[in-house]
Amino acid sequence: MSKKIFRAILLTAFVVLLTSFVLVLLSLYGYFSEQQGIQLQQELSLAAQGVELNGQTYLEHMGNREYRLTWVGGDGRVLYDTQAPVDSMENHGQREEIQQALASGAGASSRMSTTLMRRTAYYAERLSDGTVLRISTDQVTVLALLIGMLQPLSLLIIIASAVSWVLAGKLSRQVVKPINALDLDDPLSNDIYEEFAPLLRRIHHQNQQLTAQMKALRERSDELTQITANMSEGLALLNDRMVVLHLNPAAQTIFQTDDGCEGRDFLELDRSTEMSRAVQKALELGHGELRETRNGREYQFDVSRIESDGAVIGAVVLAFDVTEKAAAERSRREFTANVSHELKTPLQSIIGSAELLENGMVAQPDIPRFVGRIRTEAQRLVSLIEDIFRLSQMDEEAAMPRETVELLALAQEVCTSLEPQAAAKNVRLAVSGSPSPVSGVRPLLYEMVYNLCDNAIKYNVEGGSVTVDVGLEGQNVVLSVCDTGIGIPPEYQDRVFERFFRVDKSRSKAIGGTGLGLAIVKHAVKYHSGHLCLKSTPGQGTTITISFPAAGPTI
Amino acid sequence: MRSKFDEEMALLHRELTQMGALCEEAIALTAQALDGDRGLADRVPALEGEIDQMERDIEALCLKLLLRQQPVASDLRQVSAALKMITDLERIGDQANDIADIVSAIEAVGQGVVARLRTMAQAAIHMVTASIDAYVCQDVDRAKKVINFDDTIDNAFQEIKIALVEHIAKNPELGEYALDQLMIAKYFERIGDHAANVAEWVIFAVTGVHKGEKL
Repeated sequence: MSKKIFRAILLTAFVVLLTSFVLVLLSLYGYFSEQQGIQLQQELSLAAQGVELNGQTYLEHMGNREYRLTWVGGDGRVLYDTQAPVDSMENHGQREEIQQALASGAGASSRMSTTLMRRTAYYAERLSDGTVLRISTDQVTVLALLIGMLQPLSLLIIIASAVSWVLAGKLSRQVVKPINALDLDDPLSNDIYEEFAPLLRRIHHQNQQLTAQMKALRERSDELTQITANMSEGLALLNDRMVVLHLNPAAQTIFQTDDGCEGRDFLELDRSTEMSRAVQKALELGHGELRETRNGREYQFDVSRIESDGAVIGAVVLAFDVTEKAAAERSRREFTANVSHELKTPLQSIIGSAELLENGMVAQPDIPRFVGRIRTEAQRLVSLIEDIFRLSQMDEEAAMPRETVELLALAQEVCTSLEPQAAAKNVRLAVSGSPSPVSGVRPLLYEMVYNLCDNAIKYNVEGGSVTVDVGLEGQNVVLSVCDTGIGIPPEYQDRVFERFFRVDKSRSKAIGGTGLGLAIVKHAVKYHSGHLCLKSTPGQGTTITISFPAAGPTI
Repeated sequence: MRSKFDEEMALLHRELTQMGALCEEAIALTAQALDGDRGLADRVPALEGEIDQMERDIEALCLKLLLRQQPVASDLRQVSAALKMITDLERIGDQANDIADIVSAIEAVGQGVVARLRTMAQAAIHMVTASIDAYVCQDVDRAKKVINFDDTIDNAFQEIKIALVEHIAKNPELGEYALDQLMIAKYFERIGDHAANVAEWVIFAVTGVHKGEKL
């Protein structure tokens, strides 16, 4: 801009200089030529009077003047010339000014020299005797004048250019300086040419709009990041060429990567062919899904295509952790299979015995044994169904009446009822501790303690012991059942609380039990928001410790 | 022109990663088949075919890149390393297929040195996965680890060989089965070698040094 202003100023200076120069030159030249013409005419009339009076002698005595006088006869023949011999001169009858003078008494004309450098002006007057007196002088032409002035003129132009150069540069800088110093972040604060006011107002307005839009955009993207950051599900956004656009933290954990993964190929994060197939399928057909294990957990991946105006712009991968769900499904399936199996076994035995009895295949003395078997199997069936019923009741999480239960008394009660079994196996049963009230469902707690003690006796050795200890430990009521039995191998310690799980399947028949005891214990503990801890050494014994929150005054 | 080149280089990287993933899947399947799920072995030949096809595709892509784009410096290394790597990957696919063949043919699964074979299979899977990882991340350290790990798998093969000799001496009737197991072990050992080769080429692609020599 400053260049343009500079050039404009410089050009203007030039044009003004040149035009004024030319105009002055022309007008002065015109004025001087006119003055010269008048002077010549006066000289001519003086000379004419002189010639009228004295004839040729006047001309001869004129001396050397700066102009030339020519006396021409009526027929055009030159009678006398002040600067050239008469004989060498041609007839002047055809000259324009002579003809005019002959015709009207006075004539004027001018002729350029061949070089255009000089111009000769002629004035002629008819004398009374019919001859014509002509005066002529050389003038310098405009061109000659120009050429003559070329040197001083160019000097002048150089000086003027230099001055205007400097001035133009200064001026243009001055004009541009405030424009350069504009504060565009706060356009309205500028105090500058008023022509800029609309532009600045416009910029201010657009600035405001931009800021608002940026803020809205940032808020939206922050919102999205916040929402996805707090999702427990993994979320991955891919573009149509499977390049990762966004991964939320959960997805970063699943694919074991960090923030730097954005812009990389999804294939680099997860090479599983099943996964690429699912994504490909989603990009082609709209949806794909798969279930795969990552880092030891099972995930359900749902892949959906993202479309905009009918064009595929990418895909979104959602990963749900289904480890628990899958485990629950598995245990439900196993439970159903187990239940059917466990229910069927005693029934088969009953049916078998009954058939033998029916067909009279059993000898009279054996009949009580067979009937006894039918009874025990039926008993087993009943207790099994009772256990299943109780478990399903707890599964339903139906609200049961809560009351304050004194755990020590309950434990003593259980042990009294188990005394016969203990005596049969020659196991010493002891209860110790202090009275500890808990808030809970009495039948459930009874069942829990009963099952624990029952197991402790059943899986004990001849002459072993079972110690039940109840007491307060800080805010918790702690009940522990410690036996000197066969123990549980470490690899099964997590599984003994599963329904129908038996450590030694071959011996279960002999020992009896439904395989649901510890499952019921686990549920009862969970129902009372308690904590269960199992310590066991094979061959030495098992200690199961359960802690409950103590019954506070509010309950 | 340049953006086209970058696009094709990205495609090469992608295809090679995909081929690696297929190899991983193939040998994971053979390992599972060896674990007793023998039905899985039937899926390996199809995968092997896919791997062969990818080898041809990537080869064509590399040649096209070399001819049309005349890559230089690190780009040239990437392309030439890719050309070498696909050969090794294809061999890994072949060997996985061979193992699958044997696994589906043998009868007395679960005897002999199956437990050791399983460890060896895990080691081979680890090597292939790590070498592909090294390629994907262009990670020289990881590639070096793969190369060092090759010794472990070689030792495991030696141990299996000795164990099998004893096994045959004790149960001569299971001789044929033992030989099959030896073959399987050998194939896993070869897979380990190929994975190490892939790692060597990864190092070359990144640093320009192959097996300690500047090429």
